Amino acid sequence: MAEVRLKQVRKAYGATVAVHGVDLDIRDGEFVVFLGPSGCGKSTTLRMVAGLEEITTGTVEIGGRDVTRLEPKDRNIAMVFQNYALYPHKTIYENLAFGLRMRRMDKAEIDRRVRSASVMLGLDPYLERKPKQLSGGQMQRVALGRALVRDPDVFLLDEPLSNLDAKLRVRMREEIARLHQEVGTSMIYVTHDQVEAMTLANRILIMRDGHVQQVGAPLEVYDRPANLFVAGFIGSPEMNLVEGHVSGRTVRCGDLQVGLPPDVEAGEGSAVVLGIRPEHVGVAESPGARPFQVSVIEQLGAQTLCIGEVDGVRLRVLMDRSDAISHGTTLPVQFRPDRLHVFLKETGARLNRAGAREGQRPAA
Amino acid sequence: MSSKATIYSFLFLGLAVTALLIVAPVVYAVSLSFYQMDSFVGAPRWVGLDNYARMLSQWIFWRALINGFIYAFGTIIFQVVLGIGFALVLNQVFPGRNIVRGLSILPYLLPTVVVVLTFKWMVDGSIGVLTQVIAALGLPPVQWFESPGAAMASVILVSVWMWTPFVTTTFLAALQTVPSSLYEAAKVDGTNAVQRFFHITLPMLKPILTVIVLLRAVWMFNKFDVIWLLTQGGPVGATEHLAILSYKQAFGQFDIGGGAAVATISFAILSVAVFIYFRLFPLDTE
Ligand SMILES: Nc1ncnc2c1ncn2[C@@H]1O[C@H](COP(=O)(O)OP(=O)(O)O)[C@@H](O)[C@H]1O
Ligand SMILES: [Mg+2]
Repeated sequence: MAEVRLKQVRKAYGATVAVHGVDLDIRDGEFVVFLGPSGCGKSTTLRMVAGLEEITTGTVEIGGRDVTRLEPKDRNIAMVFQNYALYPHKTIYENLAFGLRMRRMDKAEIDRRVRSASVMLGLDPYLERKPKQLSGGQMQRVALGRALVRDPDVFLLDEPLSNLDAKLRVRMREEIARLHQEVGTSMIYVTHDQVEAMTLANRILIMRDGHVQQVGAPLEVYDRPANLFVAGFIGSPEMNLVEGHVSGRTVRCGDLQVGLPPDVEAGEGSAVVLGIRPEHVGVAESPGARPFQVSVIEQLGAQTLCIGEVDGVRLRVLMDRSDAISHGTTLPVQFRPDRLHVFLKETGARLNRAGAREGQRPAA
Repeated sequence: MSSKATIYSFLFLGLAVTALLIVAPVVYAVSLSFYQMDSFVGAPRWVGLDNYARMLSQWIFWRALINGFIYAFGTIIFQVVLGIGFALVLNQVFPGRNIVRGLSILPYLLPTVVVVLTFKWMVDGSIGVLTQVIAALGLPPVQWFESPGAAMASVILVSVWMWTPFVTTTFLAALQTVPSSLYEAAKVDGTNAVQRFFHITLPMLKPILTVIVLLRAVWMFNKFDVIWLLTQGGPVGATEHLAILSYKQAFGQFDIGGGAAVATISFAILSVAVFIYFRLFPLDTE
């Protein structure tokens, strides 16, 4: 167990820069998720921590030790790969034991560790099998077990669940969360799936085009997205992003006029983007409510998602389950200024000084 | 014609061509070994197993058999070890890699005659490059084709030079099929390069290697042209193996039955060897 510190870690392939200076302090035992769309540099950053990719500039420390120029084997890390990377010609037992054997660990101790990991992951019945005789979920458990037996300073996981089907992915996600609670080792987990990130992370680092966009706890990035990109990336269903212009203490978006949050200072006429989470649109008859014309209804079970238009602006609205709505229904909607996110259109920067306040948000 | 008839007619045609071009000559060659025949025009005389008895009782047969094994094993071991070594080097990232990769196949593309003549030229007693180098190093001159040991070494050397690229190219292609994440997992697991070769590369490529070795072994055991062009089996039979012996017997001694008997025995030995090989190294296990 150890803390991990990245200082201005940067990766260039010739003239193209894949990662532009990442700074991050990971506390001992913390679960950090690198999140971002494909090609944004998550894997490259993780692999620089692992030592599988040379660090162009910057330093990586693990447990207070500068490991920037060390080989992967000397960093005391363990890694789980997307395609499992199990040794196909070795049995499951040998797969689990291999890293320990290479470190010349005592045979009895190897056996003890392999047994305990296989109990923890339910692999006992498969120890004598070869990897190709296992299902995807079982192979991923073996990959986790191979990391587990090593008892490393930090676990590095690169999209470990991407090759699994949706149902299994949810189960394995829970299993990884449980594993983290049980062993308490620091983990860095790479994914492009924001739900995985939200559910697993203590903190999320969001990347785009090799640049860090925001680092924060799941609800922090949810409540206070640092810019337009994060606002659009985090949250499901996606946040409504509506372009408009500041006019006095309101924002005009075509025919729609919405009051500016009190903590936003914006020059008259500036082009902004309003961020409204679908679950933050108030649906109730009240003075000032606008008519929302529903065109598409998605019944999610516990909730109902309506897609439609208000004053010529397309909007997604998430509300408690409602069976009565149909195509063409008109609902009264309103926007509470303290629930609005405002971004400068040109730079995407957030203009709210405080967070969009957390109210009784329906579970997302 | 219905499509079924078409399929059968193609099948029949294929079988007929196979029979004509492969089975018939083999049957003919084997049948020759039971006759006494001093030319292809004279009338053959049935002698049963006499040709076999006669050839097996001569020490030149056993010498040729042993020479064949020495030549085949020698060339295979060097080809495979060097071939894999070069493949591993060419698999590294270095500037100009693609050019070097392309050049490495060159000896394999040259006609045997060209390779042999080049080698003969290089070891020419007065102007040969190798001769000059050896002289410059102050070493005694090598009797490339005159001393029995050196002659065997020469044919092995030339053969290895010619066919190592085949192993290199095949192995290099196979190396590309090993997922890089396996090597990365092994690096994280604490292995060094040598351990990765033995724990990942070799087991992953074992099926391919099995086939490479088999192909090379069959080819080398039957290899005729290199030896014939370099030494014609000499000096005094030092590089004469079964294929050369068979040829000399049939066309030098006008003993066609004896030559056919040697060829048949050689064919039988090879068949048994291949059978044992596949029992030892089955293809369908990991
Ligand atoms: N060996 C390489 N040479 C050049 N560019 C690379 C190389 N490896 C990755 N990249 C680039 O670096 C960027 C980040 O890649 P990666 O870290 O794998 O993204 P992801 O966030 O999907 O894991 C991508 O744009 C990719 O094209
Ligand atoms: Mg990736």
